[in-house]
Amino acid sequence: MEELDLLKKYWKKSEDTFEQVSEVEIYKMLHKKSSSIVKWILIISILEVLLWTLISVCFNTDDYFKKIHGEDLIVYFEVFNYFNYAVILTFIYLFYKNYIKISTTVSIKQLMKDILTTRRTVNYYVWYNLTMITLSVFIGYAIAFFYNPAMIALKEKMAHEKSNYTLLIIFGFLALTTIILVGLFWLFYRLLYGILLKKLHTNYKELKKIDL
Amino acid sequence: MNEDLEKSFVKQLRENQNIIHKICRLYTSGDDAHKDLFQEITIQLWKAFPKFRGDSKFSTWAYRVALNTAITLYRKSTKSIATIDYEKHQFFISQEEYNFEEEERIKLMYQAVYQLNDIEKALVFMYLEDKDYTEIAETLGISEVNARVKMNRIKGKLKKILNP
Repeated sequence: MEELDLLKKYWKKSEDTFEQVSEVEIYKMLHKKSSSIVKWILIISILEVLLWTLISVCFNTDDYFKKIHGEDLIVYFEVFNYFNYAVILTFIYLFYKNYIKISTTVSIKQLMKDILTTRRTVNYYVWYNLTMITLSVFIGYAIAFFYNPAMIALKEKMAHEKSNYTLLIIFGFLALTTIILVGLFWLFYRLLYGILLKKLHTNYKELKKIDL
Repeated sequence: MNEDLEKSFVKQLRENQNIIHKICRLYTSGDDAHKDLFQEITIQLWKAFPKFRGDSKFSTWAYRVALNTAITLYRKSTKSIATIDYEKHQFFISQEEYNFEEEERIKLMYQAVYQLNDIEKALVFMYLEDKDYTEIAETLGISEVNARVKMNRIKGKLKKILNP
């Protein structure tokens, strides 16, 4: 085959035309997978905060407090909110720091350490969020119970009743909704961060294989 | 220990990178695709590196892993290379022996090779690399006779593409 042999003639010479990749670039390629996962963790956490903020803007809680005549609660609610934002922003900063660290590391040992730190940070973040959600749910119940006018009628009914039947139903209902709500959030976080963490863990295991 | 391993890998890869570049050139068109494949091959090589015992040359081991990566990756992606970057291969020929007629022929040759399937490209690559049929057969996991037959078919196919 004349043509294929012509190509062969130039094949070796074509080597001079390739843009050479440096050692530093190769190091970067080796760590790119982990750093891109951590980048996603950072992006998702930011998007998540934006989503929650958007939701809280759409549902004005101040109106709700005014409606149930709980204006004195607004201040507490705001303090709670600011505290929550401060904590979450700290987490985002930590994610950012992890990302920068992982994408600039050149040694495997350090990379493995960074992966472990990132995983720990994400786990803390998820647990913090779940705790906050559970806490908010309970506070929400308490507020509704003590302030909401609709509850007064219920309270009176309970006072006249001899058995604790209504109370039991209310508790059962609350427990069920709490479990479902927190469960849904748990699932949401597991899906969102669980997949990324699993990938990160696979990378870690691969690195460990090399690290003998 | 592991850092030494990484160091030695990076050093050897840098020294032998042209072999990967050549595979990328056969399997991709365009700089971005070339870089992507190069990176993917690098990662696969790194993963396989602990199994590399040095009983063959780094370059021999590397091209086999690289070809495998190119083949599997090529199979995964459904998008075929529809547009071929004609101008890309212009700098194949160095200035002093610039030969317009030969350059045109090489361009056409590349276009023809792009139309082959992943396995056929692997065979062409090894042919261009001057590998003997024993090695080609071993790399692709086929018999030597089969490799020869396949190579002849590819030559026929290329001829057909070039002279329809």
